[in-house]
Amino acid sequence: MTTTTPDRSLVPSRLVDPRDLVRRHPWEALLLAILAGTIVYNVAESTNYLGVDNLVNLFQLSIEKVIVAVMMTFVIVAGEIDLSVASTMGLSAAVLAKLHEGGSVPFALALVFAIAVGTVAGLVQGWCIAKLGLPSLVVTLAGLIGLRGAARVFVEDQSIGDFPDWFDRLGQQDVVGPLTLALIVFFVGIAAAGVILGRSALGRRMYVLGDNADVARYAGVNVDGMRIWLFAVSGTVAAFAGVLYAASHGSVRGDLAEGFELDIITMVLLGGVSIFGGSGTMVGVGLAILIVLNLRNGLGLANVDSNTQTGIIGVILIVSVIARNTLDRLRTRWDRLAPIETGGDLVTSTIGSAS
Amino acid sequence: MRTRMKLGAIAMTVAGLVVATGSFPATATTEPVGTDGEDTTEGTAAAGEAVTFEPGLEFTSILLPKFTGIAVFDQANEGAQEAAAELGTTPAEFLGPTVDNSIDGQIEIVTNAATQGVDAVMISNNAGDQIEPAVQAATEAGVHIVTWDSPIPSGEGEDVFVAQVDFDETGQVMADMSRNILGDDGGQMAILSASPDAANQNAWIEAFNEVMAGDEYSDIEIVDTVYGNDATEESYNQALALVDQYPDLELIMSPTTVGIAAAAKAMQDEGLCEQVKVSGLGLPDEMREYNESGCAPEFALWSFVDLGYLTYYVTYGIATDQIAAEEGVTFNAGRMGTYTIEADPTRDNGLRVLMGPFTVYTADNIGDTAEPTGTDAAGTEATATTTG
Repeated sequence: MTTTTPDRSLVPSRLVDPRDLVRRHPWEALLLAILAGTIVYNVAESTNYLGVDNLVNLFQLSIEKVIVAVMMTFVIVAGEIDLSVASTMGLSAAVLAKLHEGGSVPFALALVFAIAVGTVAGLVQGWCIAKLGLPSLVVTLAGLIGLRGAARVFVEDQSIGDFPDWFDRLGQQDVVGPLTLALIVFFVGIAAAGVILGRSALGRRMYVLGDNADVARYAGVNVDGMRIWLFAVSGTVAAFAGVLYAASHGSVRGDLAEGFELDIITMVLLGGVSIFGGSGTMVGVGLAILIVLNLRNGLGLANVDSNTQTGIIGVILIVSVIARNTLDRLRTRWDRLAPIETGGDLVTSTIGSAS
Repeated sequence: MRTRMKLGAIAMTVAGLVVATGSFPATATTEPVGTDGEDTTEGTAAAGEAVTFEPGLEFTSILLPKFTGIAVFDQANEGAQEAAAELGTTPAEFLGPTVDNSIDGQIEIVTNAATQGVDAVMISNNAGDQIEPAVQAATEAGVHIVTWDSPIPSGEGEDVFVAQVDFDETGQVMADMSRNILGDDGGQMAILSASPDAANQNAWIEAFNEVMAGDEYSDIEIVDTVYGNDATEESYNQALALVDQYPDLELIMSPTTVGIAAAAKAMQDEGLCEQVKVSGLGLPDEMREYNESGCAPEFALWSFVDLGYLTYYVTYGIATDQIAAEEGVTFNAGRMGTYTIEADPTRDNGLRVLMGPFTVYTADNIGDTAEPTGTDAAGTEATATTTG
């Protein structure tokens, strides 16, 4: 249901009636309400919540996950899934650590290799999906297992660290104002991703691809090429996140980032991206990321134990999905029952906001 | 439960009095804490003497285990709560990550602790050196970091490490148990550890391997070291895999309470107890069944209740500026007596408070151990065979 009535887009006012916003983006509105509730809870619960340091920490603690979540949004919108991201993170960090430990490779070159490993892993998986027609669930599940195995073989049962000082500093200390490099990458990345997904031809092709691959193919979209590149970029971003993780933690183990894929996919789905592809917005994913991070932070500051935190996030996910279902059904009924009333509302709201 | 703890507290007080009056060969001069404020302050003034902490000062802290849901960490918490009650201060918040999120969870809790501005975090480190950036940020924010059970390998950002036992001694104790179980003709054995980055596990295994390299143990061959990550199922499977891979295996040595119980269960389930014995560090309560069935004839441990108790005392002293975290500083830790901060011989750059001693459990003394509620720890030590 992407058809919008022309009179809505012709509304001259820049101010938007909240009721209209809720009607057009019920999911984002719901997330916004949950986020507001979370923030109110956090402010009431802890006096330290609003400190600049805490707000930076809140992102920094999960920054690798949220960077990958932004890329995962594209993958899921295009109707695919990439379960191998966390293992790719582990492998790229392992390659970096191993090359650095050997000592014969300059560190900058090791960085390039580490990220290239992710690109290659993504290309290979993308090729299997596009050219062999295998489901991405299966291919990337194999990637999850295989790449993790490779990471463990590289690092064995130890932890490798002693990276150059500038690398550790870049991962741990602020670069601009209170912001670390990873935070800047995330904010710039999600803004760019929002524009690409929501406003560009490429983004529109992704939605079409996710909605119906056959239609996309007949419409002249290079489906195979897009899928291969999608996974190549996903692998590259994951590898980059793995390197960031190595920098922020100062050392690498074989189990680095293990299990992250589920947290990442949770954020994307909570953001309202359909697991079947073809719908969802970057704004929604951004809100979902904010909810998860703020909730974890607030519960942590309130000394709520980790098991309960995980439980609460699970409950929010399931409640949101049910709520969305109900909202969608209500909206359909509403649109069918009262089209005239809707128009009337719009007119009055336009007049109201103009005055 | 509460009644039992209260009873225990009474028993404890009685035991403390007995020690104080000299009926037991106490290892140190133990002064009852909090009953005689003036004597206490005098003690502080005298140079070189053991400092007795002034109770009742404001002190907020977090007790951070490797993860929650493991009996020994709950016991450590009991000990810490007991110490908090004695010192008349705020009990520590017992907060830990989930098993599958141990590293990032620990980092998150330390980071949040700095934000909250607590006075101290007592951490059993499971993140190796990866905890360092978070610990350093916390230290800069004025949070004292005391490690217990498992230290920060580099010692960076840590005030002091409360060591349960001498790490080198652990190697000797495990070697002795191996010899007792395998007999004079030796044989093949393997090690089942927790996670590859647990500093305490690695130090013990290293110490053990060193002892085993000696000529007197040349007939015992260590064929493999595997990791069960302190997850019961994983440890169970690793134990079975060891038996499959090494048909002549006679002993699995597991220096972790989760690993040893899982390995013993695996051997018992498969009916392999006649061929393969299990030993290591285990909780008497969890091991009693396997001890009786002959799967685990001998294993060792120390009191985690005492470890939590001692950790809370030293942390309280440091965070309230009553002692400094420096070599040679001596203090009184309530019922446990006098301890001294010393250089940690197992790390290049670290301080430790050594608790000790080991208790080796066999069929002879395992039955004597009541449920470890923390109250009869002293009794356990008196009846059990202690080494070192």
